[in-house]
Amino acid sequence: MPEQDFNLALPFARQTVFSPESVMLAVAGREYTYGQLGQEVAHLAGALAPRLQSRRVGILATRSLEAYVGILAACWAGAAYVPLNLKWPEERLVALLQGLELDALVVDENGAALLTPAVLEAAPDLVVLPAGLAKEAARPGQSVIERTALETAPLPGPAQVRADAVGYIIFTSGTTGMPKGVMISAGSLDHYIAQSRFWTRYTADDRIGEACDVTFDLTVHNLFLCVEAGASLHVMSQLELMAPARFIRSHELTVWMSVPTVIGLMRKSGALKPGVFPSLRMSIFCGEPLPVGAAQAWAAAAPNGRVENIYGPTECTVVCMRQTLTEPPVVTPSRGILAIGEPYPTMEVAILDEKQQPVAPGMPGEIALCGPQVGLGYFGQPELTADRFRLLDGRRWYLTGDLGSCDADGVFHHLGRVDNQVKVKGNRIELEEVDMHLRRAAGSELVATVAWPVAYGSAEGLVSFVAGSEREPEAIREAMLESLPRYMVPGAVHPLEALPQNVNGKVDRRALVAMLDSGRMAEGATAPETVA
Amino acid sequence: MTKVSAVAIVRETVLAMLAERGHRGAISDHDSLFFSGKLDSMAATEVLMLLEREIGIDLADADFDITQLDTLAQIEALIGEHA
Repeated sequence: MPEQDFNLALPFARQTVFSPESVMLAVAGREYTYGQLGQEVAHLAGALAPRLQSRRVGILATRSLEAYVGILAACWAGAAYVPLNLKWPEERLVALLQGLELDALVVDENGAALLTPAVLEAAPDLVVLPAGLAKEAARPGQSVIERTALETAPLPGPAQVRADAVGYIIFTSGTTGMPKGVMISAGSLDHYIAQSRFWTRYTADDRIGEACDVTFDLTVHNLFLCVEAGASLHVMSQLELMAPARFIRSHELTVWMSVPTVIGLMRKSGALKPGVFPSLRMSIFCGEPLPVGAAQAWAAAAPNGRVENIYGPTECTVVCMRQTLTEPPVVTPSRGILAIGEPYPTMEVAILDEKQQPVAPGMPGEIALCGPQVGLGYFGQPELTADRFRLLDGRRWYLTGDLGSCDADGVFHHLGRVDNQVKVKGNRIELEEVDMHLRRAAGSELVATVAWPVAYGSAEGLVSFVAGSEREPEAIREAMLESLPRYMVPGAVHPLEALPQNVNGKVDRRALVAMLDSGRMAEGATAPETVA
Repeated sequence: MTKVSAVAIVRETVLAMLAERGHRGAISDHDSLFFSGKLDSMAATEVLMLLEREIGIDLADADFDITQLDTLAQIEALIGEHA
């Protein structure tokens, strides 16, 4: 019996044969059919396939044709795709490129602007540019070439891929000062798709909005469920996301998926009026706590659809829990947010104490996940992998670091974090990672960063405190921008005589938050910038 | 707020944000600011808030087309329509 093929591009390949005339992708003002994209993907895959050694192809592109052709071609060729964030500063891009040992890098126009001599030097032997751009190779043996100029023959069909092969690597904030690359296998994604199919029920008539960068794994859900259904994916620009109402209406989207922050932005501007989105049949929110009032306001704006709140860490393949907005809603009472609901049928959820033993029913503890969606681990970080992915009673569990509880109805609730990881407008950030860079920028060990202000468990910005630094707060922030993406740089840096400590001698972050809440930092200090 | 001063404030803000984000070299009135990645979503928010305050653009209008704010020329045309 032939081995089952888990190539992630198989459903896409099927659509190129059965519905070549259907629109698959609308991006940057243009539309592309499955047939057109099939040709472009097979062409690029033909250049990638003979080069595969590490089986990793980098994607320095987002919200563009190149990003999607690059991702699908990497999959088609049988490689893992690795999206790289265009917001990363040069230093970080170089470090990650050096560690990843990519076989090729696919770049769009905005990505090409980041190809400085240092980045290009760290880039793999094949760098594929969009048509019309030219760059000098950084060294002999490196080929920097327009995608349309590749002369290799197209790869006629997707290459065979095993279930345990890495399907994609997506980076999230890490405590060590560098982001960590979460490796998800092709088999895990296959399970995810199978379990998500029955509740999303996408069809060829669906018009799915894409609000996220491809570095965020909500795009994994959208892309692979979209192509399987033969639906169309409508990619918004960063700018359109700031005021998305017109996009949703003009593209007559039937499916919306984003972080809840988008609801907040629209409510603030008054754009979220009842009935404004008649075309939406399903709206999915993920990535941060969903306040009940926000969910209900969105439901009123999209009266012909339902609202879903989904939960899960990148480490367990996009999401694995779901709660539909009902009337009355299923609420996590202490936080005023929608519950995270019940697990996918193939996934098991446990609430554990510090010794990884189950807590008493109803009690809070760390949310742990087990099942076929649990990821392979962190790229190049076996110790960190062993710390978060644990064998408990002979089975492999992922410890999420999220605090949760399970109520008498079997519904799960999210209660915050057990550590110093925070979400700022949907971006996952380890405060330790920010502090690492803050120490270096301030030239002082005595630093601490807190997420502030916080509404409904969602941080709106970061504020840092520094003791014993001779540098000006503004100079510290500027230095941090050299090595961190902007969303990880604190909006304000406050100099203090000393940092408050708790009983264990650790920096008392709660006391720092209390100082901010009481307004004691107001004098002589700059207010934190609004972060979007 | 007069039209001329609103234009001046927006232009000054945009140029300051470009400088802060390390953009070197001249920028023409027709260069893409946001689609090109020169400015990010935080900068977009700042420009929107500025336009709301200075000329009262209505972000609550469900058909407000934000893609028409991608260049300095487009932003100034919008100010011209409102002021």
